[in-house]
Amino acid sequence: MLSDPLPLPPGVEARLQEISEVDVLVGIPSFNNARTIGHVVRAAAAGLAKYFPDQRAVIVNSDGGSGDGTPEAVAAADFSNPGAILVQHPLTPVQKIVTPYHGMPGKGSAFRTIFAIAERLGAKACVVFDADLRSITPEWVHLLLGPVRQLGFDFVAPLYVRHKHDGTITNSIVYPLTRALYGRDVRQPIGGDFGFSGALASHYLTKPVWESNVARFGIDIWMTTTALADGFRVCQSFLGAKIHDAKDPGTDLAEMLLQVVSSVFDLMRTYHERWRDVLGAEEVPLFGFPHGVGLEPVPVNVERMLTIFRQGVQALSEVWEGVLLPETRHEVMTLERPTNGFHFPDPLWVRVIYDFALAYQRRVLPGDQLLRSLVPLYLGRTASFVLRTEDNGAGDVEAVVRDLADEFLRQKGGLRERWMAQEV
Amino acid sequence: MWDFLNHVIGRTLSSFGQRLEAVGPDLLAMLLILSLGALAAAALRTLLRRLLPRLGFDRFAARLGLSVVLQKGGVTQSPSQAVAAAGAWAVFALSVLLGIGTLNLQFANDLVSRAFNYLPQLLIGVGLVLLGSLISAFLRRTVLIAAVNAGLPSARLLAAGVHTAVMILFVAMALEHLSMGRQIILVSFTILFGGVVLALALSFGLAGRHLAREFLRRAVQPPTAEERGDPLRHL
Repeated sequence: MLSDPLPLPPGVEARLQEISEVDVLVGIPSFNNARTIGHVVRAAAAGLAKYFPDQRAVIVNSDGGSGDGTPEAVAAADFSNPGAILVQHPLTPVQKIVTPYHGMPGKGSAFRTIFAIAERLGAKACVVFDADLRSITPEWVHLLLGPVRQLGFDFVAPLYVRHKHDGTITNSIVYPLTRALYGRDVRQPIGGDFGFSGALASHYLTKPVWESNVARFGIDIWMTTTALADGFRVCQSFLGAKIHDAKDPGTDLAEMLLQVVSSVFDLMRTYHERWRDVLGAEEVPLFGFPHGVGLEPVPVNVERMLTIFRQGVQALSEVWEGVLLPETRHEVMTLERPTNGFHFPDPLWVRVIYDFALAYQRRVLPGDQLLRSLVPLYLGRTASFVLRTEDNGAGDVEAVVRDLADEFLRQKGGLRERWMAQEV
Repeated sequence: MWDFLNHVIGRTLSSFGQRLEAVGPDLLAMLLILSLGALAAAALRTLLRRLLPRLGFDRFAARLGLSVVLQKGGVTQSPSQAVAAAGAWAVFALSVLLGIGTLNLQFANDLVSRAFNYLPQLLIGVGLVLLGSLISAFLRRTVLIAAVNAGLPSARLLAAGVHTAVMILFVAMALEHLSMGRQIILVSFTILFGGVVLALALSFGLAGRHLAREFLRRAVQPPTAEERGDPLRHL
């Protein structure tokens, strides 16, 4: 089903007329990424030349009004050097489109423009990369586009090697919850770099989500969940380490948690009829060649996390009263112990997340307040995870994350019953 | 002697009968209106107690923070029961006013007239206090959560301060609207808020010069990851 066309600037319309049709599309959303975007564009172009030399290709930069010359950096990126990828055949010219996006400021709105251009150009396969990537190589294009173009998959999620203390919202909430709900083991559902088919891009455009949190931080989990819940063929590709420019330090943890978790909870409501009947979880095909990577250590301030957790326990009990079940609240209240002995058990954490999900559906509190009140609990859980895995290697930590994911699965029956009771 | 007494008693009874004849229908009408008012109040109460929970009013009130306000005000009933009771009493009070009006007495007419003239102000005053309760409860929760997440040690005190300040503002507005102690309220309010603002300005400007400088610096320049003490990448 084709969606109503998204209005695009006249200059872009002219470029689309000129290009007419492509086979593959590389999308790069950006906002003030002049330092790194040139590298991303060159890597993408080299990947297209090396792995898809006979395909008509376009690189689309969807920019959110950068003031640091990001669009100019894209326009100036030179990818005519075949030596970089050791090929001797002449490189197929790759088209470039640089366009501002419209709508709510955020990655989701940038993606919407990319989807619209993919649909207009009839792209068969697309890939999107973050503009702040430093570790991207031409192989990433192959690993994310190949399964779509050559094997008929609709959605390729990235699989990165990450430091054991990196990506804690993913490890403690998004990954285990998505796995338990939709029954597919996608390890990095909010990885940020994805491959997808043209059909799936058109499908995304039909969804009325562009004025919600999806238009901002929530786009990654929304893309993954939509692909899983709507029955598209999903796989993963191993990309190695993800190293990117330092995130905007002004980005608030509460804001991040709010937007990501509210997107997950909103999707639970949208797809409740799909996830209710899903039992168990199965692996999805994995492409690429997993290998070890040296990672920079991530310093963690456990004491600060525990301080905020304890303050939350003392001050927010009245807020959690209508949110957590009495026994869950009681257990949370009794968690305060000395730093070294602090432990937030998996079963309790799962009950907390399920209680919050149900309270979000019941609209016990305004969604914003409800999810911000989750921050101290999340920090307590993260501190517990850090303390527990302090001396563990990557394999052991992965097993800890897997145990938590299994606990989410074990308690799913209770969630389903309470969800259905609430609906009645 | 007996004739005289008979005459006086007869005249008194006759006079009372005439007065009763004149006032009786009005009294009966008043009793009828009061009875109908009581019945209407009871019916409204029953209706609201059944209807409001089904419409999700209790959940809505909890979300707005009205339940907490009622609990803090010593109301142990659910919000829908409280609204039902308030509605019933309002209907009964209206019937009392109408009943008094049927007596057609000068003071009763004046009372009814004044009551009806004052009613809009009273309703607006009550509405202002109710609105203030809702807004202050919402702001209290917002400040409490934000302060805890920011790691401020006196989160509860800060939240309570915001709650009290907003409530004082709305109660003062309500009393001002009801024309009660206008001057006293105005002066008290001015002194109180002026004092608070002056105290804050002095304490922040003098005792916390360095803090103020740091605060402004952070407002202009985003903090580094080290300053936030949170070098984790959560996504």
